[in-house]
Amino acid sequence: MHMANELLSVPVAGATLTIAGGALAFITRRARKIIDADKLALMGILGAFVFAAQMVNFRLPAMPGTSGHLVGSVLLSIVLGPTLGAIVISSVIIIQCLIFQDGGLLALGCNIINMGIIPCYAGYYIFKTIKAESWQNTRTYVAVIIACVVSLEIGAALVPIEAAMSGVLLVPMSTFLVTMLGVHAIAGTIEGIVTAAVLGYLLQVRPDIIGDSLHGKIRLSKPAVIASLSIFTVITAAGLSLLASGMPDGLEWSYAERPDQSDFETTIANESTVIPKVDAFQEKFSLMPDYTVRSSKLGQTAQLEYEPAAAWTSMAGLIGAFLTMGFIWLFAQIIRKRSNSKPNPDTIAA
Amino acid sequence: MHHAHIDKFAYQDSPVHRLDARVKFIVMVIFMAFVISLPPNSVVILSLYAIGPFAVLVSGRIPLRFVFKQIIIVSPFILVLALSCPFYDRTPVSVSFGPLSWQITAGWLRCCNILAKFTVTMMCIIALVSTTRFTNLLEGLGKLGIPKILTAQLGLLYRYIFVVIDKAQHMLLSRRARSSNYLGFRNELKTASAMIGSLFIRSIDTAENISIAMQGRGFNQKWRSLSQMHTGWADYLFIVLSAIYILALELFAKPVLT
Amino acid sequence: MTSAIEIKDYSYAYADGTAALKDISLIIEHGQKVVLIGPNGAGKSTLLLAMAGFVKGTGKIFVDGIEVNKKNNKKIRGLIGCCVENPEDQLFMPTIYEDVAFGPLNLRLEKDEVKARTRQALETVGLWSLADKPPHHLSAGQKRAAAIATILSMKPGIITLDEPTSSLDPTCRNKILRIIRELPQTIIVATCDMNFAAEFAEHAVLIDNGQKTAEGEPQKIMAEEQLMTSHGLEVPWKYRKSI
Repeated sequence: MHMANELLSVPVAGATLTIAGGALAFITRRARKIIDADKLALMGILGAFVFAAQMVNFRLPAMPGTSGHLVGSVLLSIVLGPTLGAIVISSVIIIQCLIFQDGGLLALGCNIINMGIIPCYAGYYIFKTIKAESWQNTRTYVAVIIACVVSLEIGAALVPIEAAMSGVLLVPMSTFLVTMLGVHAIAGTIEGIVTAAVLGYLLQVRPDIIGDSLHGKIRLSKPAVIASLSIFTVITAAGLSLLASGMPDGLEWSYAERPDQSDFETTIANESTVIPKVDAFQEKFSLMPDYTVRSSKLGQTAQLEYEPAAAWTSMAGLIGAFLTMGFIWLFAQIIRKRSNSKPNPDTIAA
Repeated sequence: MHHAHIDKFAYQDSPVHRLDARVKFIVMVIFMAFVISLPPNSVVILSLYAIGPFAVLVSGRIPLRFVFKQIIIVSPFILVLALSCPFYDRTPVSVSFGPLSWQITAGWLRCCNILAKFTVTMMCIIALVSTTRFTNLLEGLGKLGIPKILTAQLGLLYRYIFVVIDKAQHMLLSRRARSSNYLGFRNELKTASAMIGSLFIRSIDTAENISIAMQGRGFNQKWRSLSQMHTGWADYLFIVLSAIYILALELFAKPVLT
Repeated sequence: MTSAIEIKDYSYAYADGTAALKDISLIIEHGQKVVLIGPNGAGKSTLLLAMAGFVKGTGKIFVDGIEVNKKNNKKIRGLIGCCVENPEDQLFMPTIYEDVAFGPLNLRLEKDEVKARTRQALETVGLWSLADKPPHHLSAGQKRAAAIATILSMKPGIITLDEPTSSLDPTCRNKILRIIRELPQTIIVATCDMNFAAEFAEHAVLIDNGQKTAEGEPQKIMAEEQLMTSHGLEVPWKYRKSI
C-alpha cells in the first residue's frame, strides 16, 4: 500500500526520508564489495521482473471481481538474500514513484521502509528461522507463507503509525490500523501462497537458482541484524516522539477535534510552550484566526464566524488562480502556434 | 507496446525540458514540502499553489488530459482515506464563498484539503518527470550524492521494465487466448505461479546475457558514465522565479487565505 | 604474422555433461568476413562466446596470437568485440548514446576521445540523430544497428555477431548487411539466415552437432544442396540454379 504525500507532515516525511536514505546508503556500501557484472545485471532485471510479475494477476476465490498480484519482496530476498533484495525492491519503489507517480516523492522514505527494507529483512529472517533443512519439507513452504504475512503486516502497520504521527487524517489510528492489518492479512496470505508456488515451480525447473548459488556473499550476521534493527527502532521512536512534541500541526488538530473537553487545551499548553506561540503567530497574521471550532463553548454547536471580507478574499483567490492558469494556457497555445509555423530543426542534446 | 510511452513527454524539447535536472528536482521537493505543510483546513490557497506546477506543465507542452488521467489512475488509495474524513468529523462549519454561504462539516473540508494537496503534488511530480529525461534525473541524483550502485541499478531497472513487461504481456495474452472459463482458485494459482516462475527464469537468462554484454565491453565493477550536466542562466532564473513564487505565497497569500 | 583467430582442438561441455563443441579447429585471417552456419543448437553461439573467453573448455584459442584464458581476459576483450544475439540484452544503458559510450569509458579513454568515438560509431550505423533516445523507443532494426555501434565504438580488430538478422524485415536486414559489409574489421557472424550469409561471406564454416562439418568458399559449400539440407539448412537464392 503506497503511502501518499498528503498523509504526512513535513517532519515525519523528513525523518523517514533520512532513515530510509541512511539505511540504503549503508546497504549499498556493504553491497559494493560484492557486486560484479553478473549481480548488477541480475538485480536490474529482477527489479523489472517485479514490475512484470505484478501484472500477472489471478482471480481470487470468494471475492468475485477482485484479483490479486505478487509484491515479490520475500521472493527476492529468499533468492537474492535480503541485502540485494532490499536494494532491488527499493529501486522498484523509486521507479514507481518517479515514472508511474505511484506513491508521493516526499513519502518515498516511508514507502522504502514499509515496503522495501522491512519486508525484505524481516521476511528473510523469519523464513530462515522457521524453514526446514530441505525444500521437500512442507515446513519450508509454511515458513514462506508466514514470512510473507508477517513482513507485509509489519509494513502495513507502519502506514497508520506514520499517518497518525503526521496528524493529517481524522480516522482514529486504531480503526486505520485494524483495517490495514485486516487487508494485509489477506494480501499477505495470498502473497505467501503465490511465493511458495513460484518457489516450488523454480525448484522443479531450475533448482540451481534456489540452491544458494545466486545469493550475495555478504550476509549480515544475526547479532548485527538484531543490533541494527533495535538501534533503528530506538532512533525512530525517540526521533519521532521528539518531533511529535514539537509538531503543532498534528497536535493542534487532535485537540481541536475535541471541543467537548474544555480542559484539554490547557493540559497541552502547560506541557509545551510551542503551541501558544504558534497560535499567537497565526492569529497575528491570519484574517481568519482559527478556522476551527476552538472558540465555541462547551456543549454548543460549533459555528464558525466568518468575516464577510474573508469570504470575498477566498473567492477572489480561487478565481484569480484559475484565471492565471487559463492565461498561462492561452499564452502557451499562442506561442506554440507561432513556433509550429516555423520549421524546427532537430537538435541533439548529446 | 504502448505502455512504453508513459515517459514519452520527457523527450520533447522546451525551455523547461532544458533546465538542469538537479535544479528542477530540488525546487520541486521544496515546493512540495511547502504544499504538504499547509494547514489541514486550507483549500482555496491550494489553487494558488497549483499555478506553479501548472505553468511548468504548460510550458513543457504536457497535454493536460494526460496529467489528469495520470492523477486519476493513482488516486484510489488517497480517495478512500480522504472520503473517510467526513465520517469522523461531523462538526458543522459554515463556509462562505463570495456571496454564497452554506453549512458543511469540518470533515468534508479536510477531505477537500487532502484531495487538493494530492492534486497539486501530483501535478508537481508529473511536471518534474515529464519534463526531465529519466537518465538526466538519475545523473542529477548521482551528482546530489546518491550511491553509484543505486543509480546504476535504477538505470538498468528503467531500461528493462519495458522489456520484461512486454514479455509478461505476451504471456498474459497467450493465457487469455486459451482460458475461457474459471477453473477454480487452485488452477488459477497454478497458472499464475508457472507464469511468474517462467518469467523469473527468463529474466535470469536475460541477466546472464546482459552480463556478457557488459563484460564484453570491459566492465570491471566500476560504473562509468559521461556527464552532460551544466547549469546555465536559465536554471538560475528558474530558481529565482520559484523562490519568489514560493515566498510570495508563504508571506502574502497564506496569511490572507488560510 | 598471426591469424585473427586460431582455434586448436577446442571442446566444451555444459554443466550437465552434454557436449556443445567437439574438437573444433579453425583459423580465421585478419580482415576476413566469415559466417558460421548451422542449424539451431549447433554450437555456433557457444563458439563465439568461447572466442571472447566467456565459456571455458578444453583446447586452445588464440586471438591475435594471444591465448584466451582468464589472465588475458581484459586484453582479449579489447581485441574482440562480441555482440550478443538479442539487442535488448546488448543495449542495457538508458540511452543509445550512453550505451555506445559505455565501452570506450571502460577503456578509460579521455572524455573527448570517448565522445568522438561514440559519435563516429553512431554515424557509421546511421543513428546519430537518435542518440539520446532510450532503446525502447527504437524499432527492431534500429536496435540491431545500435547494438553493432556499441561494439564499433570500442574499435576492436575483430567483431563477432550472433544472428544479426533474426526477426528483421528484409529492408532492415539489407541495412545491417550494408553496414557490416563495409566495415574494415575481421567479422565473424553466426547465422542460419542463408541468404544473408551468401551476400556477406568470404568464407563459410558449417557447424553441426558441435563439430566443424565443412569449411571453404561460400559458393562451394552453400550451393551443395545435399550438404545444406542434411544439416537443416537451405541453398540461398543466390546459388540456386535457375529453373
